[in-house]
Amino acid sequence: MSRWKATAAVVIVAALALAGCAGGEGEGKPTDGVSGGGHADKLTLTVIGAPTSYDIGAGAEWGQRSPYFESVFDTLLRQNSKGELGPGLATKWTYNSDKTVLTLNLRKGVKFSDGNPVDAKAVVASMERFRDGTSAQASTMKDNTYAAIDDATVTVTMSMPNPALLNMLSIAQGLIASPASFVGADIATHPVGSGPYILDTKETVTGTKYVYHANPDYWDKKNLHYDNLILNTMTDPTAILNAIKSGEANGAKFTDNNAIPEIEAAGWKVEGIQLDFQGLLLLDRDGTMVKPLGDKRVRQAINMALDRKALLETLQSGHGTVTQQVFPPSSDAFDKSLDSTYKYDPKAAKKLLADAGYPDGFEFTADLNPSFQTAYDLIGQQLKDIGITMKTEDPGQGQFIKALLAPKYPVGFMGLQADHNDWQLANFMLAPTGTFNPFHTQRDEVDGFLKTMRSGTPDEQVKAAKALNKYVTDEAWFAPLYRVQGSYAVDANTTLEYWPTNASPSIFGFSPKG
Amino acid sequence: MIMYLLKRLLAGVVLIAVLSFLTFVLLYMAGGDVARNILGEQATVETVAKKTHELGLDRPLLVQYADWAMHAVTGNLGRSWFSGELVTTTLSTRIMVTLTLVGGATIVAALLAIVFGVLAARRGGWIDAVVQVGAFIGFAVPNFLIALALVLVFAINLHWFKATGIVPPQQSIVGWLSTITLPIAALSIGAMASIVQQVRGSVVDSVSRDYVRTLRARGFSESTVIYRHVLRNAGGPALAVLGVQFIGLLSGTVVIEQVFAIPGLGQATVSATSLGDVPLVMGLVVVFVILVVIVNLLIDLGQAALNPKVRLA
Repeated sequence: MSRWKATAAVVIVAALALAGCAGGEGEGKPTDGVSGGGHADKLTLTVIGAPTSYDIGAGAEWGQRSPYFESVFDTLLRQNSKGELGPGLATKWTYNSDKTVLTLNLRKGVKFSDGNPVDAKAVVASMERFRDGTSAQASTMKDNTYAAIDDATVTVTMSMPNPALLNMLSIAQGLIASPASFVGADIATHPVGSGPYILDTKETVTGTKYVYHANPDYWDKKNLHYDNLILNTMTDPTAILNAIKSGEANGAKFTDNNAIPEIEAAGWKVEGIQLDFQGLLLLDRDGTMVKPLGDKRVRQAINMALDRKALLETLQSGHGTVTQQVFPPSSDAFDKSLDSTYKYDPKAAKKLLADAGYPDGFEFTADLNPSFQTAYDLIGQQLKDIGITMKTEDPGQGQFIKALLAPKYPVGFMGLQADHNDWQLANFMLAPTGTFNPFHTQRDEVDGFLKTMRSGTPDEQVKAAKALNKYVTDEAWFAPLYRVQGSYAVDANTTLEYWPTNASPSIFGFSPKG
Repeated sequence: MIMYLLKRLLAGVVLIAVLSFLTFVLLYMAGGDVARNILGEQATVETVAKKTHELGLDRPLLVQYADWAMHAVTGNLGRSWFSGELVTTTLSTRIMVTLTLVGGATIVAALLAIVFGVLAARRGGWIDAVVQVGAFIGFAVPNFLIALALVLVFAINLHWFKATGIVPPQQSIVGWLSTITLPIAALSIGAMASIVQQVRGSVVDSVSRDYVRTLRARGFSESTVIYRHVLRNAGGPALAVLGVQFIGLLSGTVVIEQVFAIPGLGQATVSATSLGDVPLVMGLVVVFVILVVIVNLLIDLGQAALNPKVRLA
């Protein structure tokens, strides 16, 4: 998708979301999967990673694993391939005046695959199970209370407005499962939803191959282009490449962008989106662990010392876009001009370091993520050029994030998910309570932006998000290098519309050619 | 005989107990934030702590092990932390896949090793040289490289076989053969290379023995001498190597099942170990130990059948 199309899509998403947040009414036209599109017997996709549990109270996820959940469960709202919000199980949604109560009107006549009705009681039970469980995003719904007003009306009551709520109801937080399945011992592997497909538990090999057949009672059959869906879990890059080259799948997510020429030579088309950024997380912004990092000039000097273009070329073979901001292009907060805030200039960086009182540089120890050893080495060399010594320490197998968030280290390098929803991203890594703000850095300016983003008018929310982005970029809270291209390949017989807001394409985005 | 079997059975039980405890300790020492691995980077520290408690990972090591062991003796190996599936279900759906690959590779390796080993020993000359060099290469080249080459040629270019996955035989015999042939070939080449040397050496050694000269003097045909008598004597050492190879092939599936995306025990081992899926790793250890004990027992019995001198009291 070209940049202007992506921007247009984002504006539409923002407009729809904000309309809902503003106490308006969302209603609507069904969200078409792909325009046109024929019908075929089978769609086979390779997916990186299997679901940890189909129990929405334990393993509900989106991102890379969204196809598993999207196939068997409905969400209350649904995003289409352009990222626009539309009706799902809820056909209409309305906020009260202070945006603390959301009323959802449910689609009538929908049934779970076990025959039970998808009514308000079931929706409330399902949302409560998610809220009280241990799914990754459970905490995002922790203060909500739910009520079934009548068979087809549910209210969500919050103590404070949540600008990300509507978006959340279109992903993991909005998944609805049959309450009757909650008591089953096999709930982790035997999902019961009202989604487009039903899992064939006999043909499925948990962790490796998931076989689904079309749900005969599905309410939105016109957006269903395949009678059967097979999701093959593959983590080995060689196996994924072999499956592509031998034509044993119609679509495949792959992680090695160096394989793109080989994949295209096999007659496949590669689609790419850029959601996540990779870079240094300069977490100790108050200088509690390493004093110099508390000075914004030092953090800015680090940003100026990094040759992002060369690093992108070396580490990702050029597959991505250099960036200096944490917000992705699909967000309201994104500002292209911020990507030229820091020019690569080691001399100027060294001077800035001297101005900050560190003419001879300083030393710090970064949390080592062994998966990015080369990045650490190259960044270390570039920082060394301005006098900063970055040592690394491996906290042990699988301990990288735990150590970073403890916090045991002032800095770490990783790829961080950059959510297209400004409020979600801000609460994930910028708010004082954010998971990736482990030193709980607090600034009055940030608090002010967050307050406006939570309760302002739509225009004010967008302005505050942009101001927040500019603030954290100018203050050099991070040293992002580039947004990595997430790549997805489809064969010559398949059309894909890759929505811009999720790492994995929607299963509604696929259709057979011809 | 019964006492011997009981002793081996008892030794197997002790082996399982010791190895399961050692595995548990090693997994514990390896550390890793399992709850974070399950939930991903987006989960809050509080949610991770809740998951850690839910999994019982905040309990002392010995308590965790005792809990696992007490359930394990009743046949309850728990549920995988990363799929929610019963470990016994995971193992039962995958074990036949792996045994098919390993069993098939063992049979292919043994048959070809006998043919080429005898041929090399009896004919000598260039045939012997080719077999020996071939065995050397087969032994030296890692099986995953062989697998990649086979996939490239026979699956991607010629489309004779499937590159990934497995088709159950009850669904389609042709499909099943198209998915297991390349993995079996990749596994068997290395094993055959080892066994063929053993067969060749044993045959060369046996044909110069007095009893062979006597058999020939009595007018037995050469094929009867070789296949009924020489191979029987040469079979003992070859069987021992075959047993070792079978166990080696079990570990070989760890790589081969990854390359071919085959849902067997090897693939589960890689995945469970890298993720820190303790219940599944423990289940796999138990199964592998049982398989090794059974194979060793069968080899002992086979040795006894071939050679009366080692028959068990």
